[in-house]
Amino acid sequence: MGQFIVRRLLQAVGILFLLSILFFILVNLAPGGPLAGYGGARHLPPEQAVILRKQLGLDKPLPVQYVIWLAGNDWMRVDQSAVASGTSYGTRRGILRGDFGFSFQTRQPVLTVISERLPNTLYLMVATLLVALAIAIPAGILSAVRQYSFFDISVTTFSFAGQAIPDFWLGLILIIIFYAWLKNPVTGDSLLPSGGILTIGVPFSLLDALQHLILPLATGALGWVAWYSRFLRSSMLDVIHQDYLRTARAKGLSERVVIYKHALRNALIPLVTLFALDLPYIFSGAVFIETIFAWPGMGRLYYQAALQRDYPVLLAILIIGAGFILLSNLLADILYAVLDPRIRYS
Amino acid sequence: MIKQLDLKTSVGKTKIGPKSQDTGFQSKIWKRFSRHPGAMIGTIVFTVLVLAVLLGSLSPYSAVNSNVLERLQSPSWHHLMGTDALGRDLLTRILYGGRISLAVGMMVVVITLFIGVAFGAVAGYAGGWIDNVLMRITDAALTLPSLLVLILISSILREIEMPFFEKNNVVTIAVVIGLLSWMTFARLVRAAFLTLREMDYVTAARGLGASHLRVVLAHILPNAVGPIIVESTLQLGYAIIEESGLSFLGFGIQQPTPSWGNLLSNAQENFIKYPWLAIFPGVMIFLAIISVNYIGDGLRDAFDPYKVLSKVGEV
Amino acid sequence: MSKNKTVRSLIQISLLVILTAGLVDCGKPPAVTPASTRSEPTAVVPAATSAGTATSSITIIIPEEPPSFNAVISDTGYDALVMHMSLLGMTGIDPEGNIFPVLASELPTVDNGEVVINDQTKEMDVTWKMRRDVTWADGTPVSAEDVLFTYEAASDPTNGFAIPGLDLVTGIDKIDDYTFVVHFSSTYPDYLSFLGGRQIVIWPKHYCNLDQGYTAWDCGRNPLSDGPYILKEWVTSDHLIFVRNPKYFEPGKPNIDQIIVSVVPDASVRETMMRQGDADILMWATEQVANDLKDASNVKLSISPTSRWVMRLFINLAAKGTTDPVATPNPLFGDVRVRQAIRMAIDVDKITSSVWYGYAQPVWTEFFRPPYNTCNIARPKLDIEGAKALLDQAGWAVGADGIRVCKGCMFAQEGDRFQFDLLTYSEYGEPLILTQQLIGEMFKAVGIQASLTQAEGSVMWADSSSGGIEQSGNYDIDLYDDGYAGIDPSYFLSYYYSSASAVPDQGWNVVRFVNAQFDSLIEETNTLNSQTRQTAFCEMAQILDQQLPQILLFTTLNAEAYSTRLTNIQANINSVVSWNVADWTITK
Repeated sequence: MGQFIVRRLLQAVGILFLLSILFFILVNLAPGGPLAGYGGARHLPPEQAVILRKQLGLDKPLPVQYVIWLAGNDWMRVDQSAVASGTSYGTRRGILRGDFGFSFQTRQPVLTVISERLPNTLYLMVATLLVALAIAIPAGILSAVRQYSFFDISVTTFSFAGQAIPDFWLGLILIIIFYAWLKNPVTGDSLLPSGGILTIGVPFSLLDALQHLILPLATGALGWVAWYSRFLRSSMLDVIHQDYLRTARAKGLSERVVIYKHALRNALIPLVTLFALDLPYIFSGAVFIETIFAWPGMGRLYYQAALQRDYPVLLAILIIGAGFILLSNLLADILYAVLDPRIRYS
Repeated sequence: MIKQLDLKTSVGKTKIGPKSQDTGFQSKIWKRFSRHPGAMIGTIVFTVLVLAVLLGSLSPYSAVNSNVLERLQSPSWHHLMGTDALGRDLLTRILYGGRISLAVGMMVVVITLFIGVAFGAVAGYAGGWIDNVLMRITDAALTLPSLLVLILISSILREIEMPFFEKNNVVTIAVVIGLLSWMTFARLVRAAFLTLREMDYVTAARGLGASHLRVVLAHILPNAVGPIIVESTLQLGYAIIEESGLSFLGFGIQQPTPSWGNLLSNAQENFIKYPWLAIFPGVMIFLAIISVNYIGDGLRDAFDPYKVLSKVGEV
Repeated sequence: MSKNKTVRSLIQISLLVILTAGLVDCGKPPAVTPASTRSEPTAVVPAATSAGTATSSITIIIPEEPPSFNAVISDTGYDALVMHMSLLGMTGIDPEGNIFPVLASELPTVDNGEVVINDQTKEMDVTWKMRRDVTWADGTPVSAEDVLFTYEAASDPTNGFAIPGLDLVTGIDKIDDYTFVVHFSSTYPDYLSFLGGRQIVIWPKHYCNLDQGYTAWDCGRNPLSDGPYILKEWVTSDHLIFVRNPKYFEPGKPNIDQIIVSVVPDASVRETMMRQGDADILMWATEQVANDLKDASNVKLSISPTSRWVMRLFINLAAKGTTDPVATPNPLFGDVRVRQAIRMAIDVDKITSSVWYGYAQPVWTEFFRPPYNTCNIARPKLDIEGAKALLDQAGWAVGADGIRVCKGCMFAQEGDRFQFDLLTYSEYGEPLILTQQLIGEMFKAVGIQASLTQAEGSVMWADSSSGGIEQSGNYDIDLYDDGYAGIDPSYFLSYYYSSASAVPDQGWNVVRFVNAQFDSLIEETNTLNSQTRQTAFCEMAQILDQQLPQILLFTTLNAEAYSTRLTNIQANINSVVSWNVADWTITK
């Protein structure tokens, strides 16, 4: 097992390296550049364009830019000014040493920009996943145990419907209903806020946070609930009819014990691994949900960076996202092996 | 975006033999399919949808030409779904948009089918280092954060001026989405091939001197057809959502050509005051996808009632 | 068995930990902490205002957050919004276009002797006298040292930025703590805005880190205020909170204790927030919003007396894909008669009354704003038949399918169809896309086939080496809005119409308009003599009206939607809505 993990980690590093080149090429291949529409200035005067290119490091050939991005430029002499020729060393250390550069738009270090948004996305997505699981697991189990009952049929129908609704559409509809139409009978204000994490300028209250969380969470959770409940149901169904459960029943164990002690555990195995595989979606964030609900997170950051051609931010998010996916794939495979003794890796 | 991923197959679990190629095969499939109420309803709904979309040109209204005197009207007998900001009949736009969205969806399925089946078949059948390499490529492709890369690629392809790639080309968008969605097929087909290649009749065929290609095409592939078809229907739904999402963000189909996604994105500007602009396109997407999903579910039960290959490409 | 349980519990626990951490982390919004600055600002944040009175607070909603407080290195408008709340420049500019002194104690002019021009060399010296009663929020006086510091930072070759007019400045000399002289190498008519106006403010020498550079310094995101408000908190991409600056120099102002700037990306949500009273000011209300909120009794609209952004067609006078209008003239549009015919075919009123809800104003010359709007250029008439006749005359005969074909036309090949791409940019929004469509239909009506395409702004306006569409000449007609800021069009005219600017990447004359007479007229405007300028401008107006390298259509709305409980909100096209933030009042 240990050998397996080490091998996979090495492979992951290799893949990441290749991906970094791919991403770098893709990002730079997109026509247009960060200078056009820089910070909203539509037409940049040529003198400004020259200065900006130098400041953003875009005047160098692409392979050099890649090396600088990867390994920094504090070991090479750089041309610091647009006028004088270079005499001093650069200041960037490169992503291999944890320096992801600075955002073209705000000039802040990229890691700062990301770390300001990441907690918000994590907060929303983890909450969404947890709530989704909390609903989906019982629903899936019960509908498997009571196959073809009314409950089962409604859960199944609901899960089909839930997978068919685009989340960006759902968000808009929920805002229409809960912000524009429905009113709080006590205060006369909207029933739920239209977006943001908290009400600004007032002291923190849990109720307030929950009110802001409901709609984005519901929008995101619907798809997960639909999918996981269906999945768990089918997984449970497969397990319920197994021979070893028949043995357990024959031994005289109550149905409850049979279900929860034996069947559930084995039905959960694939769920756990799938969950681990879905973790990366936490990171890339829900672009749609964050835009519609004014949630200051990673997804919206990426979308804006893509529009503004903020290369360092784009590259950082892509690489970190890919790394995350690789790690969670590995985690899923490990978990699967740990949980299911029949699986062994050579 | 929820993707469906396969599981390791539980090899040798059941003892169901190969499906034979006799004439009763197809009618058996159909019989099982028709007993599935959801699937039948789904088929009906989807057929209605496709017909409506194809008959869209019968509409007396234009999907593209403006009519500034009738802007932003709420639904009425005159305009069943109301009008948009240029006075265009929304129902007509939705029907025309359906053509684009469904066309993109179908094309994506075809593309992912080709790439995915090729990868999966070769990997699953050949095994060994070929399998390893192909699967590593698939894994690498899977690590691409798909929506993010989609946005990036489509903004590149949008600007390319090449003879075949006109801007706003449905094919371009389908290619972009397809390039990022074939991996599910690959894994699924590979898993199926891994199972099926151990079957006795394959060994027999090889023993009788059949070439690899013949074995694959004549013996294995037909039996893997079940999960492939099922997955295709699911992929169709997925592709429609992807295209809508991309257009919604502004990267997909451009105006004035309607697509369900960019109809929603247009609505965003003033949907609270004119909610019908957002409601109807979303309902169409919903109907298309749910009907396709039910069809897929019915097909799965029809092809594989004993769930030999159903572990593959689960749910 | 127990192994599985353990693993599962581990997973559950770690997820719970993450969630709790996230909640705790986000429960108290991470406020911006003063970054590494040279001296810790004693940012004075008053608890309650005067004894007993509740804190008055208003909310401004914007679609995206400001990249920084420096409105010259970026130009989103939201940077100017927050900049003018916290920082001051030498001058400001009001909605009518009048420049007034802010940090300056009086405006330097030729008449009061503070502007001296050398008649031979055209060099100009401007002496500024500053107010003595303005201090930074930590008590340090605002002085000429800060002005020199700002100049030094902006003109730094590595980290500076090309402020308008900077290239003409040879140096700034300090006379005393509150007086300094700016030396211009040639007469610069817009000198009053050089250190103020819409985009420029003065930065504190003792607080900002010169080594970090003008474009990247931390004080650009966490400023030390001398303006009416102090930044109390900035949660990125979510909101900023400002509180009143007790050391602000105008007595009794500002009137409002707290201003919240909230980022809400969705346009429809912003509109609804205004309607429901959840926000007080909606910055840059679009025509759609203005129209929708007409029936809201709690919302008013302040419309700017003039506008800056003119929707226009940029016509590539060079053939698509080339940049030389003489060697390779545009086969379709190289003929001026075709351009004139196009203008006759566009029904501007139809567009403005429908898509723009009547808020757009027809405009047909660059010189439509005071003080240079007296050139008497006649409004072009909508004349579809005339357009058709003119196109026939220009050698474009109507073909079998209704689209014109070249028969004796000036530049194209015989038999070529009149077909081209009409391009616009995608980020503006619905109204522009709809306008593009309407224009396409109007063209079709006179036999011209336009295929409608869109591009992202970052592709349209990139330089030619990055594949920029305009700079590389890869277009036929572009449609979008543009226009000069403030009251002086010279900078704009030079960049958009002079032949030097027609060289790719050297300017924005992407229409490749090359006209020697126009160039010499631009030269003539480099003077402070308003008569000379007026005459020159009007001659330019005539040339542009005849040659039509660009076809101007209409101005778009510049308005702010605000709650009726506020007074003194004035939309200002020459600056930003917060230009008079100290005067805003809440009445109930």
